[in-house]
Amino acid sequence: MKQLRPAILGCITLVVFCVIFVVPFFFIALQAVKDRQGSSLLNFSWPSETQLWQNLVDVVQARDYQLLLAYFNSTVITVFSVTGLVIFAAMVGYVLQRRPSKWNKYVNFAVLAGLMIPPAVVPTIWLLQQIGLFKTIHGMILIEIAYNLSFSILLYRAFIATVPRDLDEAARIDGAKPLQLFFRVILPLLKPVTVTNIVVQSIAIFNDFTNPLYYLPGKDNVTVQLTLYNFQSQFSTQYHLLFMNILLVTIPPLIVFIFFNKQIVEGMTAGAVKG
Amino acid sequence: MSGLELKKVCKSYGAVEVIKDLSLQIESGEFVVFVGPSGCGKSTLLRMIAGLEDCSGGTVEIGGEDVTDAEPSDRGIAMVFQSYALYPHMSVRDNIGFGLSLAKTPKAEMNARVEEAAKILQLTDYLDRKPKALSGGQRQRVAIGRAIVRNPKVFLFDEPLSNLDAALRAKMRLELTELHANLNVTMVYVTHDQVEAMTMADKIVVLNKGVIEQVGKPMDLYNNPATAFVAGFIGSPQMNLLEGAAARKLGAEIYGIRPEHIDISRESGLWRSTVRQIERLGNDAILYLDVEDVGSLTVTTDGQTDVVIGDMLFATPQPQNEHRFPTIAR
Ligand SMILES: Nc1ncnc2c1ncn2[C@@H]1O[C@H](COP(=O)(O)OP(=O)(O)OP(=O)(O)O)[C@@H](O)[C@H]1O
Ligand SMILES: [Mg+2]
Repeated sequence: MKQLRPAILGCITLVVFCVIFVVPFFFIALQAVKDRQGSSLLNFSWPSETQLWQNLVDVVQARDYQLLLAYFNSTVITVFSVTGLVIFAAMVGYVLQRRPSKWNKYVNFAVLAGLMIPPAVVPTIWLLQQIGLFKTIHGMILIEIAYNLSFSILLYRAFIATVPRDLDEAARIDGAKPLQLFFRVILPLLKPVTVTNIVVQSIAIFNDFTNPLYYLPGKDNVTVQLTLYNFQSQFSTQYHLLFMNILLVTIPPLIVFIFFNKQIVEGMTAGAVKG
Repeated sequence: MSGLELKKVCKSYGAVEVIKDLSLQIESGEFVVFVGPSGCGKSTLLRMIAGLEDCSGGTVEIGGEDVTDAEPSDRGIAMVFQSYALYPHMSVRDNIGFGLSLAKTPKAEMNARVEEAAKILQLTDYLDRKPKALSGGQRQRVAIGRAIVRNPKVFLFDEPLSNLDAALRAKMRLELTELHANLNVTMVYVTHDQVEAMTMADKIVVLNKGVIEQVGKPMDLYNNPATAFVAGFIGSPQMNLLEGAAARKLGAEIYGIRPEHIDISRESGLWRSTVRQIERLGNDAILYLDVEDVGSLTVTTDGQTDVVIGDMLFATPQPQNEHRFPTIAR
């Protein structure tokens, strides 16, 4: 009896999570292979006619291959923002953790504020316009870095607390300058959180819908999430293409997540217990 | 010329004075050990010499040069930490060579020097391993290797052996002494273990609450402790220190006699006592005696002694080995 109870509980949990996570995904995949009439019903009925390949080609070719441009834009934004995030957040976390000064209070406050206070869209756009970054990819990259910096800093700071100070001192005695100390001794030791940061932030930024919508309008600036608008209009929606598009857009983050989910958990909890 | 001189150095954290006006001269090639109870400022003093901690006052000279404001890497020192502080992501080779690579030493010379250090420390077979895959003693040796390749004028050690088990500690103690003899450089060694201090040092510096109690050769400190604190700290088991009426009867404010300098007999003697406890160590036995009006006495005696708990014994201090101290002023 004693062994049975956890097993039953485990099964129930599995079933519940299956329903929550797998069923929607299955629904998307199912609609993506149907034809226009079939998908407009939005039900689980088995497709009378499958046209996976045709849907795929239609989606990719839509609006002069816009999806490919969107992939390119999203990739550029994601790669550069995540790189910037990792370097800045690790540096800020390191300084906050290792050099107590009277400024720390304010920096900590700013970090928390960045986490808690929702950004105001209109003033941000105004500011971007003033400095000529509105509707530009690099402006978007800076926005993503700014919005996600707080979370990354918190992750890094907790982890840096577990790196023994003796290492810094040994490196100083060995003759390391501050930047050498950071890049050659500290940063390599932060690999577990860096992986976490890369995975979590790249998924978040790749999947970001609202920020590109506000700050990066323009036909040439589309990101993958915005291509979902291609098949929706006020009067008719081509559900089979929309769902195919969703499927294509979901796949890259899903792959990243499946491959790295173990490291994510490790990095998240690494700061908690000393290993 | 690689001596070391501290002139009136002090260190305070806010209102707390950790090191007070401390002056000390260390000759070139000496093995100096700082001992003292926990929290007396040994590590702080060592870190001030290393430059990891600023001096609140006074000057530090290494090799005749004032280095009070110099960076740690410019002082010609190398330090071995209690935690070893090896870089976990680097191989043993890179750990030892890290300082050289920062100094942009040519690759060939760097390899040669790393390998030479590895040979001295018998680490040649482990050069490509990560620190994680080494035993405690091997890690310790890597930490020492990292110090050796820097060719420092002064080696600094902060309790380097305290993470090792007793047998390995004895072995490393010997290795360090031999290393000192071979390299013939100045070494400053911090420990709270008086056995390490006695066995390794050319000169012992006894610290207490941030001031020097006494400086001297190990046997001088053992034979002629300047204060009751030093007397109690050097030597094992601890010296018996009597205070109050019992001490005044023997003509001192504090009267000290080492456990090995008390004779026991069953017939007659100065103090009548009963045996409270016996610890047999094999070659020695340590007796804990209760003496009326005096208190507890520790006595070492022959390991084969037939004394048992509860016996009545007479204990007599050897007159030539008595120590008399004035009251501790502080
Ligand atoms: N950053 C600090 N702020 C305030 N006090 C400190 C600081 N660092 C050390 N101290 C105090 O300085 C004193 C000396 O510390 P130190 O580490 O030198 O002791 P120690 O002799 O090495 O002791 P141990 O044998 O336990 O290592 C201690 O009383 C400690 O509380
Ligand atoms: Mg210490």
